[in-house]
Amino acid sequence: MKRRIRVSRLFLWLSLFTFVAPGFTDQARPPQVNEEERDFKIFTDRIQEYLKMQKSLKASLPTLEPTKDAARIVEHQHALVRKIADARRAARQGDIFTPEVAERFRKIIDRTFRGPEGRLARETIRPDGSFKPVRLHVNDTCPEEIPLTTTPPTLLLRLPKLPQELAYRFVGRDLTLQDTEARLILDLIPNAIR
Amino acid sequence: MPAIRRFVFFSCVALAAISLSLYSQQSALPLKPNSVRFAVIGDMGTGEKPQYEVAGQMIGDRLKFPFDFVITMGDNLYGGSDPSDYESKFERPYKPLLDAGVPFYAVLGNHDSPNERFYKPFNMNGQKYYTYKKGNVRFFALDSNYMNPQQLSWLEKELQNSGSDWRICYFHHALYSSAAFHGSSTEIRLLLEPLFVRYGVQVVFAGHDHVYERVKPQNGISYFVEGASGSLRKGNLRKKGLTAAGYDQDRSFMLIEIAGDELHFQTISRTGLTVDSGVIRRVAKITGAAARPTLRPGHGGLPGRRLSQPSASDSSEEGQSIPDHHAGDEKSLRPNTADPYRSDEQYCTDTLFAVTL
Repeated sequence: MKRRIRVSRLFLWLSLFTFVAPGFTDQARPPQVNEEERDFKIFTDRIQEYLKMQKSLKASLPTLEPTKDAARIVEHQHALVRKIADARRAARQGDIFTPEVAERFRKIIDRTFRGPEGRLARETIRPDGSFKPVRLHVNDTCPEEIPLTTTPPTLLLRLPKLPQELAYRFVGRDLTLQDTEARLILDLIPNAIR
Repeated sequence: MPAIRRFVFFSCVALAAISLSLYSQQSALPLKPNSVRFAVIGDMGTGEKPQYEVAGQMIGDRLKFPFDFVITMGDNLYGGSDPSDYESKFERPYKPLLDAGVPFYAVLGNHDSPNERFYKPFNMNGQKYYTYKKGNVRFFALDSNYMNPQQLSWLEKELQNSGSDWRICYFHHALYSSAAFHGSSTEIRLLLEPLFVRYGVQVVFAGHDHVYERVKPQNGISYFVEGASGSLRKGNLRKKGLTAAGYDQDRSFMLIEIAGDELHFQTISRTGLTVDSGVIRRVAKITGAAARPTLRPGHGGLPGRRLSQPSASDSSEEGQSIPDHHAGDEKSLRPNTADPYRSDEQYCTDTLFAVTL
């Protein structure tokens, strides 16, 4: 009889543990999607801050309209680079791709490159000819001698959307965030492709 | 006597050579009134002698075939975009064309600076992707370096709203290519081809691989690779089931004429040989979708000669609503966008429209 009671109690405790404990765990840890949203909100806010600054800096330069004069295009790019780099003197790696955001990006990149279309994404970023690794820094312009790597379109469908002024670009295994007009590296995630 | 015989023999040989040479120079294009005429070049911006020679050939051919504009497949300027690059790799080689007012409509390649879009002679108007219309043809110039969701939505909207008879897309990376160096850009194809099929794009031009290739029609779409107008990867083409015609022995460019429902093409080498020619026929307007073309290629060799015998599909009239399934068996008529992971060869065996040789 005593044994039967002990078994029943054990069963009761087990049931309690099975049904109630996960509820407590869920309360302790909010759903993952909210964390992701929060991290991406930080990212998009910083993008907006950058755009605001870039816009005001661009306004201080003569507007670049399509021109036959190639020198004007090059001069405009150089002037814009100087202005932005100067305004972002204090910028450091991780300012936009904060550690939390970088981790989110890494996960998405991992999922894309290891998923069913991973082989295709890897083919897309295969460098054109022999690629010599370069050490990139925030506020560097992307070296012109390195051909652009196509950013895998299936990855672009998953990453937070960027305004037309900015682009995600892989350089080797690093993911960079670039100002497309200045060709300036705003931030980067080193070894984003693991 | 033997001297006379020798003289007659050599005269005959010389005459034959001259006639063959003249025949090979003959245009494979019909020069119909009010047709849309243009040239296609890709991966040309090396600034080296072969680029200038191809440009010279284009300029010479324009006397016989006065094309109105040029489309470029990107890699317009290799190795930098200083003002001197614009001059030596674009302005100087194509000066006679530019002086004659021939506009160029460029796209960006992976070797191009995105700021080339501000260079007026490229007619990109500061945009990385854009569209324009010439006669009954709507062109969609895309940026395959960065196929983001915004560009895809824009393309879908523009294709949807395009009322033109012909829809031609061009961009740098080839969705189908048999070249060994790069090959097909399968991931981009995964996103673009369903749109092309849905909205009736008939012809697609690309570059990136430094060869010329005409791909067997895929899902009713004719694909061309013209990435050898400056750079060349000699012998790089691996002709398999995908290739309808190809040329990787020298630089080349294409001349196109669109007259009504026919698109005539002629591919010419740096030395003026016609290496491919043929006709793509727009079948008919299908309600809710656009017409799909059939392809009647030239014999793929020298000299360029047009094939003008009517085929069975020629009887379809524009505006007539005809079902998709008008030839072949059920299996071969299925649009093949469901499984993007299949190999190119598999795509090839399932093409929507048969090539009439």
